[in-house]
Amino acid sequence: MVKLKINNKEIIVEDGMPVMKAARQLGVDIPNLCWHDDLEHFTSCMLCLVKDNRNGRLFPSCSVSVSDGMDIITDDEEIYEARQMALELLLSEHVGDCEAPCRIACPAHMNIPLMNRYIAAGKFDEALKVVKKDIVLPSVLGRICPAPCEGACHRKTIDEPVSICLLKRFAGDEGAEPLLSKVEKTGYSAGIIGAGPAGLAAAYYLQIRGIQVALFDSEQKPGGKLRTGIDQEILPHDVLDREIEAVLATGVQFFGGEKIDTSRFDEMKNNYNVVIIATGTISENSGTFGLKTTPQGILADKNTYQTSEGNIFVTGNAIRSSRLAVRSVGQGKEVAFSVWQYLNNEPVKGEPSLFNSRFGKLLSSEFSEYLKESVSYKRIYPIDGGRNGFTAAEAVDEALRCLHCDCRAVDSCKLRIYSDRYRADQRRFKTSERRKIVKLNTHATLIYEPNKCIRCGICVRLTAKYGEKFGFTYIGRGFDVELGVPFNEDIRNALTETAIMVAEGCPVGAIELKST
Amino acid sequence: MNEKFQNIDRIIEEKGLEKNSLIPILQAIQKEYNYLPEEVLRYLSEKTSNTPADVIGVASFYKQFRMNPAGKHMVKICVGTACHVKGSGLVLDAFRRHFELPQGVDTDKTGTYTLEKVSCLGCCTLAPVVQVDNITYGHVAPDQVDQVIKDFERQKDKKGANKVRKPDGSPVKGEIRIGLGSCCVASGSGEIRKEVESVVNQNGLRVKLKHVGCVGMCHQVPLVEIVPNEGESTLYARVKPEDVKNIIESHFSPPGIFSKLKNRLFSFVEDIQTDRNWDGIERYEINMREKPVASFLGKQLPLATEYRGMINPLDIDDYISRGGFSALKKIFETMTPDDVIEEVKNSGIRGRGGAGFPTGVKWEFVKKEKGDQKYLICNGDEGDPGAFMDRMLLESYPYRVIEGILIAAYAVGINRGFLYIRAEYPLAVQRIRQALDICREHNFLGENIRGSGFNLDLSVYEGAGAFVCGEETALIASVEGKRGFPRMRPPFPAQKGLWGFPTLVNNTETLAQISYILREGSGKFKSIGTENNSGTKVFALAGKVARGGLIEVPMGVTIRQVVEEIGGGIANGREFKAVQVGGPSGGCIPAEFADTPINYESLNEMGAMMGSGGLVVLDDTDCMVDIARYFLSFTQDESCGKCTFCRIGTKRMLDILEKITKGNGKQSDLAELERLAEWTKKGSLCGLGKTAPNPVLSTLRYYRHEYEAHINGKCPTGKCTDMIKYSVNDNCIGCTMCAQKCPVDAIPFTPHEKHSIDTELCIKCDSCRAVCPVDAIDVK
Repeated sequence: MVKLKINNKEIIVEDGMPVMKAARQLGVDIPNLCWHDDLEHFTSCMLCLVKDNRNGRLFPSCSVSVSDGMDIITDDEEIYEARQMALELLLSEHVGDCEAPCRIACPAHMNIPLMNRYIAAGKFDEALKVVKKDIVLPSVLGRICPAPCEGACHRKTIDEPVSICLLKRFAGDEGAEPLLSKVEKTGYSAGIIGAGPAGLAAAYYLQIRGIQVALFDSEQKPGGKLRTGIDQEILPHDVLDREIEAVLATGVQFFGGEKIDTSRFDEMKNNYNVVIIATGTISENSGTFGLKTTPQGILADKNTYQTSEGNIFVTGNAIRSSRLAVRSVGQGKEVAFSVWQYLNNEPVKGEPSLFNSRFGKLLSSEFSEYLKESVSYKRIYPIDGGRNGFTAAEAVDEALRCLHCDCRAVDSCKLRIYSDRYRADQRRFKTSERRKIVKLNTHATLIYEPNKCIRCGICVRLTAKYGEKFGFTYIGRGFDVELGVPFNEDIRNALTETAIMVAEGCPVGAIELKST
Repeated sequence: MNEKFQNIDRIIEEKGLEKNSLIPILQAIQKEYNYLPEEVLRYLSEKTSNTPADVIGVASFYKQFRMNPAGKHMVKICVGTACHVKGSGLVLDAFRRHFELPQGVDTDKTGTYTLEKVSCLGCCTLAPVVQVDNITYGHVAPDQVDQVIKDFERQKDKKGANKVRKPDGSPVKGEIRIGLGSCCVASGSGEIRKEVESVVNQNGLRVKLKHVGCVGMCHQVPLVEIVPNEGESTLYARVKPEDVKNIIESHFSPPGIFSKLKNRLFSFVEDIQTDRNWDGIERYEINMREKPVASFLGKQLPLATEYRGMINPLDIDDYISRGGFSALKKIFETMTPDDVIEEVKNSGIRGRGGAGFPTGVKWEFVKKEKGDQKYLICNGDEGDPGAFMDRMLLESYPYRVIEGILIAAYAVGINRGFLYIRAEYPLAVQRIRQALDICREHNFLGENIRGSGFNLDLSVYEGAGAFVCGEETALIASVEGKRGFPRMRPPFPAQKGLWGFPTLVNNTETLAQISYILREGSGKFKSIGTENNSGTKVFALAGKVARGGLIEVPMGVTIRQVVEEIGGGIANGREFKAVQVGGPSGGCIPAEFADTPINYESLNEMGAMMGSGGLVVLDDTDCMVDIARYFLSFTQDESCGKCTFCRIGTKRMLDILEKITKGNGKQSDLAELERLAEWTKKGSLCGLGKTAPNPVLSTLRYYRHEYEAHINGKCPTGKCTDMIKYSVNDNCIGCTMCAQKCPVDAIPFTPHEKHSIDTELCIKCDSCRAVCPVDAIDVK
């Protein structure tokens, strides 16, 4: 047994144990990518660098065994910089998108590729469920949204973007309203001023979190500009009413024809735990309730929408005017998250926006790789004209055009998680030429994208350990080293028994199971 | 047994089924097929314990192995440091043009020639060097490619007169020594040897013909030395085959010829030797006592290279008669292993591989480790693109290296050892193999060596081309038959080395100095050099120096002494700018610091490093940013690819340097470069990555203004081709020579008129400037 200090805490551990494992016993999780619990250490990623406090030197904690009297620091400014640097180097040749570009472009951050997959599979109800996680009024927006998502769609580089907006409309029109599981009432309450897209969204996402919402509007009917500012030809009222009904069905109490002036506002502050201002673009007529303003609107934190008065939030056009209803809907969802944090006495940070790897434009030589998971025909236009939306068959066919640009490991990728934690900048070491994207998808259960590989060699070590006939191997060396199958054998022959193990072992999205 | 693969079965049987046989097997297969055919590799993975992943992993790691068939003849373009500073890049481009090779293709359309870049052919003083199969061409200019290929076509099928001199047993009148070091062989000493043999045979001369290893005077090769039994010996430099007859006959008379005639002949030859215009033969005599040459050899102190030029590499009796194996005898008879270690510790010798760890201490570490088995590896994986000391020591003093190994093994208690030698050094491999056989015959190896009761078995392991394998943990992985991935130390090889057993890894040069220490005593060794830096160091002196070659100097001599006194200053009247010490791990020391003594600490302080001992002298025409880029491109290419900082860090540094040398740099790039360099040093796993940024950091330290000049759009020396333009000035006499030389017709053929260069077409090959008789080509 040896005695050492990790972050100034003494610990006694077994002889020969790597420092990284010893730290775990103290609950200190040292970042790592090339480490695998079933394998010998390999010392490749260098993310696990820690400091020997006795001489100030950095060393990889996966590969150095504990020794008596060691004094280890696992986190300080220098180590932070080392990890950030290692991540930035890895990211500089990591060619792939974490989230799909369409999702990043969507002001409501809707999981578009997932919706597409459900539609393509004929699972329209599930599709709507996905949509409703972020967008409360899909049928409405499906008729009026200018679709910034389609501008970012990689498919646009090949031929035309996927018809995302119409697919969302289809999901809203044809999917069954998702049954919401009963949430326990929290006892908290919120008053929302304004029942336009932002207010409706905020109301919905608060109510389903167990916060009782009272929604006020000066008009008799909710909907705000959606009801008053848009031609019925484009957005028929029955569509609007149906989706508003779904919001109110969650338990939101609506009070129409209520004009909120400063005294009513003060009253609301007393009656509800929080008050959300969603009154739309501020003008001379609209009140600012004595809050600080900017030339654009009421002053609030741009991430959390919280005002300097902690229990008052602002959302939608009341902060800054925008012609995008989808932005208001998105902000309504986001403010609900901030309010929820506030009410739970958590630090109010707003919805987390995680690190996203992005590779930019798809090259023509890569079209065929992306099309491996798609269909080659051009964009489908509704046979009855755009106003009428897709038929089910059309929707399925169009959804099949999606290239699935989102990474399969979007939630589990360690590179992404650490890049977020260490605020890594992918573009720091921008190079003129990036690696080409390849998608090897002949394997029944998994897919290999070498351009996402970080050369940690876990796949090589696993396939060797479990006796795969071909397995994976390093091919070449240095910067250009690739991980591949010997003799250019098909990946099906490389990964037989170990397929799932390898896919799960891959710390990034290079080798991933297809089903997810 | 598979009929088709009978040859492979034979190879496997010979080399073994185990994993550690993989590299030798692959080498044998490549010898047989000229590349590694996939079906053979598949067969191999079925027949041996190597999986397909092992086979491909290893085959694709080492540079030596080719996965595609190569042309009938290999054209190796040396891009080592010395060749680089003398323009090998332009030569390479010229060959590519000659063979019309598109990017990514190395074999010409007819499949006759394959072009290969090699990092060092070890003929730095003949730079730029090109080797076509076994014929070496030195001082190749970009416009001589046609000539080289034509000459090769003429020479390739010729067989030299294969007359062998008959030993007649009669007393010899003297000795004729022919240099057979790599530089000499490369420069044609093989031809000379044949010619000498033929002249000696025809005339029935009673002289002893002797082949000697490298003399160190590589800039004057091929060398022939005539040593009469009486009188002064004479050294002839740059000898051509047609000179041989006259030289020999001037010294030795054939039997039966009257002495008068002999004398007449002698004086006749004496006359013409001083006549430089003698029938167009570029040849001159070198008298060792003439001042510059005397100082060239005289200022040095040969220990590892003791008896240079006098000793026949493979003649064990010759070695013994000059004190060889006396140190071994001494320790066997009078010293315990601990005494030997004590003596080596007292001598203060430090590892000559670069890092300078005290050798005796290392021996002690290995000795203290408990283990049923211990191994010794002589590290001869010399990969520095501007150094060839190990190669010279192995080729020319094989017994001295072996004696050093024997002493080390005896002291530490090791019975099994390997000499890891690059396969790119075929002569060294061959000589050592022969020397090991001869040692076995003489019981200097094997069981109960010379009655001492001590056993040692030694064998050669051929490295397959990976600079990183100079790092000891990578070296060990390579001997085990794996990819040359270094691993984290500790555990050090002394604790867990080859196959997990305690292993002593010593550099070739270190081992070559051991016998001197034991023979002469540690006190004498310690008296050489300086405090903490005892003994001598061998350097490969090359670059822009007047006289290049291998030198061995006491530690502590200054850079100035080496460059000026030994190297004879800068060639062609240019100005001394800097010296690059330590190759890819080292750095540049500017001329103003030329009084820096050469030792481990002072070089480190200057931002350089002893490294393996490459010493490349740079003059005012050398661009320091280009030098940094050159070395970084080398290490980047040689990175094993295991750890993030080295694999990607060196690449990104190179990206920035390339951007700068292309004229696209920004001021902020320098800070980014420094930050990358700092982290690549700190975050890399092994010595390769930890030292790779040194050439960049040292040039940034001393020549930041040159980097800034590039960023401001100007390469001060005009070396960076993307930043320069060729033009014709008013000196032009309209001779059309440039137009004739231009390989891309960028200069219109306009006799008697001032020429012009179409900069759109110009490929900046420098041919026009080189050929212009009146300096009418400007490079700006």
